[in-house]
Amino acid sequence: MKPFLLSILFLFLAACATERHPMPELTASKDTTGAKGCEAVYPQGRWQFVHSIDFSMQDGSGGTVIGVTSLAGDELTCVLMTIEGFTLFEAAYQEGKGLAVQRAVPPFDKPAFAEGLMRDVQMIFLAPSTKNMRYGRSADNVPVCRYTGIDGRIIDILPAVNDCWQIQTYTADLIMDRSIVGRSCRKEGDLLIPEHLELRGFGQAGYTLKMTLINAENLGAVSE
Amino acid sequence: MKRFFLLLTLTFFLPVQASAEESAPQVKESQVAQAPIQLHSVQADFTQEKHLKILARPIISTGTFTFQAPQSLRWEYRKPLHSILLMHGGKVKKFIERDGQLTEEKGMQLDSMQVVLAEITNWLDGRFTDNAMFTVSFPDKKTILLTPKDKGIAALISTIELKLGDQAGLLDAVTIFEGPDSSTRLTFTNRVLNQEIPASLFTAR
Repeated sequence: MKPFLLSILFLFLAACATERHPMPELTASKDTTGAKGCEAVYPQGRWQFVHSIDFSMQDGSGGTVIGVTSLAGDELTCVLMTIEGFTLFEAAYQEGKGLAVQRAVPPFDKPAFAEGLMRDVQMIFLAPSTKNMRYGRSADNVPVCRYTGIDGRIIDILPAVNDCWQIQTYTADLIMDRSIVGRSCRKEGDLLIPEHLELRGFGQAGYTLKMTLINAENLGAVSE
Repeated sequence: MKRFFLLLTLTFFLPVQASAEESAPQVKESQVAQAPIQLHSVQADFTQEKHLKILARPIISTGTFTFQAPQSLRWEYRKPLHSILLMHGGKVKKFIERDGQLTEEKGMQLDSMQVVLAEITNWLDGRFTDNAMFTVSFPDKKTILLTPKDKGIAALISTIELKLGDQAGLLDAVTIFEGPDSSTRLTFTNRVLNQEIPASLFTAR
């Protein structure tokens, strides 16, 4: 009896710890006008963004840092610092070159943290390839650009939700593992820049990042 | 992170022991330590510039800083993010603005601030050089360089540079060098010494 009860308890706890959001069906469309909207989600050229970031973990811990994200084409640099100015983490990512961590202060020095953070930052700022992109609408008629990676992971870009955008990613098992909700978007050229971003990572190590824009600066085109 | 916070806080209190007027070029540590100023309180506005290689321009933060002997501190950032650190009566609290409201930062290791206060008390007593954390040097009569002794801290902070003001006991700027491409510079303005400050400033957000 005891093992049975333990099994039930384990399953109950596992269910509590992991919110499961299956991937919605997409009604495919040959009309690619929605693609333009998805392009407006991602900055082109050289940009620099400064956000305040409130992070909270599933165990209730959390804190506030300032995040700087610098973009130059497919090269992305990310810095986290305290309000007092101390640099906690600095890393760069470039397609083909991978991730290079320049500085990581405990508890931000775990390899999994660097990989997870840069994956989140990529998801927010770097557009996925349009090669494996499908366009359509969700059941509630929201336009969606759906990208399927070679590993089976899926990125849904919703370019027009409440005058801003959302991004959702799914595992190869079609279960949502990240959700980004942009709010209070302002337009700068073709780009839609959210004043607020909320990123939720699902699963047993769930977390939430609430990002508030401090400054966004277009630094021009990428020099060859 | 909390050790850095400790270091940074310490730097705010250094000027009270270093007198530009009374110290000669290439002053020795002992000479500076012999010229303590009776500091009861100090208030100042500050501007913080964060410089990083990747930044097109520095991140500017502004706020106010208030200290009253023996152990009361209010260190408040107004922009770009509102946050307040309060120390009074042996208690330390930090508040950060979230969703438009100042909320207490519960996870912070505030016990480390007790150590800070012990160091501050030493310096207020004129024991400027009795410092296990830094090697102190005086390249000129207006500059004090602090180099961390602990290798762990030295890996994170290479030097802290203090620029003394014209008036004895006041500090113009503090620059914390993390490495060749990263530094944080704090400059102080509107400084007021030895004015009585109500205790509520150190307890109420």
